[in-house]
Amino acid sequence: MLKDKLKTALASLNLAQVSDGDYAKTGYHLEVTAGPGQMPAVAQAMLDQGCFLESLTAVDLRESFTLVYHFASFDELCRTVVHASLTKEAKGAQAPTISQVYPGADWYEREVYDLFGIKFAGHPNLKRLLLPEDADFHPLLKDFGAEPGND
Amino acid sequence: MIELGIEEKTYTLNLGPQHPSTHGVLRVVLEMDGEYITKAEPVIGYGHRGHEHMAENRNYQQFLPNMGRVDYLHALAYNQGYCMAVEKLLGLTVPERGEFIRVILSELNRISSHLVWIGAYLLDLGAFTPILYAFDDRENLLDLLDRITGSRLTYCFYRFGGVPRDLDEEFITGTRAFIKRLRSRFRDYESLVTKNVIFINRTRGVGLITRDQAVRYGLTGPTLRGSGIAYDIRKSEPYSAYPAFDFQIPIGDKGDVFDRYLVRILEMEQSLRIIEQALNQLPNGPIMADKVPKRLKPAAGEVYQAVESARGEFGCYIVSQGDLKPYRIKLRVPSFGNLSILPEVAVDTLVADLVAILGSVDVVIPEIDR
Repeated sequence: MLKDKLKTALASLNLAQVSDGDYAKTGYHLEVTAGPGQMPAVAQAMLDQGCFLESLTAVDLRESFTLVYHFASFDELCRTVVHASLTKEAKGAQAPTISQVYPGADWYEREVYDLFGIKFAGHPNLKRLLLPEDADFHPLLKDFGAEPGND
Repeated sequence: MIELGIEEKTYTLNLGPQHPSTHGVLRVVLEMDGEYITKAEPVIGYGHRGHEHMAENRNYQQFLPNMGRVDYLHALAYNQGYCMAVEKLLGLTVPERGEFIRVILSELNRISSHLVWIGAYLLDLGAFTPILYAFDDRENLLDLLDRITGSRLTYCFYRFGGVPRDLDEEFITGTRAFIKRLRSRFRDYESLVTKNVIFINRTRGVGLITRDQAVRYGLTGPTLRGSGIAYDIRKSEPYSAYPAFDFQIPIGDKGDVFDRYLVRILEMEQSLRIIEQALNQLPNGPIMADKVPKRLKPAAGEVYQAVESARGEFGCYIVSQGDLKPYRIKLRVPSFGNLSILPEVAVDTLVADLVAILGSVDVVIPEIDR
């Protein structure tokens, strides 16, 4: 079973949480909580097990961000979600990139930077993806467009 | 020695943002060495409307019409993915007849999407006639879908808990006639295109994608299956009424442009089989779940729901904080991952082949830009 293999592979990484998900309720077979700094190692472990990166996004929780990574496999049904909490700092939030492991993450990380302003250290080409180059805002931050009629 | 004095130079060629082969507003900045590409960088975002931001500012029902405008060619798959994600959050169950109707309509929509692709793709490659055939067939289909859903393109039909309108006799006889008609047309497509030696020479061995690349870039849909990986959400992660039907997942063997073409052609026949079975087994009963609340206030939590659109995996990720409005919606769109591989596949190909490769991925730009 891929799920057991993933659990074994992730066990050595000293992660905050690796547990079974409630598939019927959430669509996840495996739920993982990691620190942003552990993500390159987690991504490498996922790639070694043949998983692909389904999606990478962020959620603005006002006090902090959560980076959300979804992984799945072409061979066996096993969706893994990895949550990585990221503190908001005055100089801007930053997490290491996983684009050297999954080149497909390159665009996802650029999108997160574009929409949330989260920087990815070591990213080869971190510039805006969807918004114009000269935009000076990050639209998915919760304090963006808060005035009525401005959405 | 003859290379003395010859200075090697590359130049930049701008493909798009307005170009017939980009099917939308996509720009590709190409670094050229003569006719060969040394670097390709897609520039996207020209059609960014902020769907995900809109989602946070309206309630669950109000976001439904947006789903017809992300991927306009296979809008019903997006309807389905979003509805299923919200139903999962709410714990709603769709009645069996409702699921069957969803499958029939989504599969018809998948065929219409593939027909547009075939016509437009062959047009890209310089064959003018096929688009006239494909659009003729598609017109038939749109009339059928229009009859039930009330629109020709940007469908907003599924509701949380089922579908609002039942199929009628005219739709069912019309669909059966369409299945017969399209099957006879497949023979025309085969002799005109699939066995056409010009087309084969143009597409065989071009734009190869390996399994390893597919994993690293997260490809899905026919673009992935052309490379021989039988990954289709309808089989891999069965949803709705799909487990009730017998159908196959066509795959390619070489992973080139021709294989991706063939996968789509074969997929249409499989969709016809699904529709036929669904019409034959159509159960009686309600089409909407009982007691769907008017004010939707799902409990706090998050869900991820994947469905197979004509281009690959559409994933709907919803975070709820127990509010009337979703806290965050992320739309995982297949074309996004499928296009991100272009810089790697395009290197060392001819600029004319880039058009063949780009078309074979079947990107829908509004879906990427969101």
